[in-house]
Amino acid sequence: MNTCGEIRESIGAWLDGELSGAGADAVRLHLETCLVCGEERRQLENLNRAMKDVFESEDFRLDAEPFWHGLRQRIAAKRPWHADLAEWAGPFIRAPSFAWAVPAVIVLLIGALYFGSILPGWGVLAPRNNFATVESIDAYGRNVALLREHESKTTVIWLYQNPDNENEGAGETSDKGPAF
Amino acid sequence: MKPAIKVLLFNFFLWSAALSLDAADKSFQSVQITIKTVAAGKQDREFDARLAPLEKQLKALNYRSYRLLKEETQTARWQGNANFEIPGGRVLTVRPQEVTNNQLSLRVQLKQGDKPQLETTVRMNNGGNFILGGPPHEGGVLVLSISATAR
Repeated sequence: MNTCGEIRESIGAWLDGELSGAGADAVRLHLETCLVCGEERRQLENLNRAMKDVFESEDFRLDAEPFWHGLRQRIAAKRPWHADLAEWAGPFIRAPSFAWAVPAVIVLLIGALYFGSILPGWGVLAPRNNFATVESIDAYGRNVALLREHESKTTVIWLYQNPDNENEGAGETSDKGPAF
Repeated sequence: MKPAIKVLLFNFFLWSAALSLDAADKSFQSVQITIKTVAAGKQDREFDARLAPLEKQLKALNYRSYRLLKEETQTARWQGNANFEIPGGRVLTVRPQEVTNNQLSLRVQLKQGDKPQLETTVRMNNGGNFILGGPPHEGGVLVLSISATAR
């Protein structure tokens, strides 16, 4: 520890009595001979003195009494009912983390499907219309019409009579069909 | 409770829900089938008050009169036939085939005497209905409302 730079870094610790033995002696001997480092020592001593004066002055003393008084009042005060309610309901209304939101959505979807399967038409995923799907149809040579009536959302299968009318219905006659 | 245990419990719950959902489709033992036979004509203006639930569907057919001739309900097991006698010597046979995603698949056959007139497979909402019309009847036509509910 011989250079001025190393000595200056240690002056603060030496002034605070944190150095001992050879370290303290090296700083003290250097400061006795080095004017520049001696000046650094004086500045540090002045700074320490000034700070000590400030901390010891009457103006600087913190008045903590109003803070503690207010705190005691808040602890002793009766909490309003809505504060209790908010505290109780907090965990329920606080936004859940994304990790829990995903399975929650899955559960809701499964619940909706389950509910819809035991109560027809009540599931949120239940189809909103009454349309039926005709997967196959055979009218045995007759004309047949498939209609999706959108106003009532109904599927209509209309069987037209064969023009040759092979004596079906034993004399029953009808018009040609509905006027959809 | 440790997060890992929470996740395990949650997974168990999800599996239970999924299994019960699957069981719900399989738990339908039979299908209740209802056929409403309606005579529709173009002469007098008349609407049978008993047909009020079907009013919107029937009036789309643009006939003037609608009269309920017959209403019959039968319960059929899966792959079992339910036979309904329809005026004019006709027979309507309905066979429930399966239910998936709350939709019923029905095999429907209309015969007049021994002659098949129509055979169709229809997939419809559980509890829904569709209309089969056209067979002549006393100067008008027959309109059949075919509804089915799995139970």
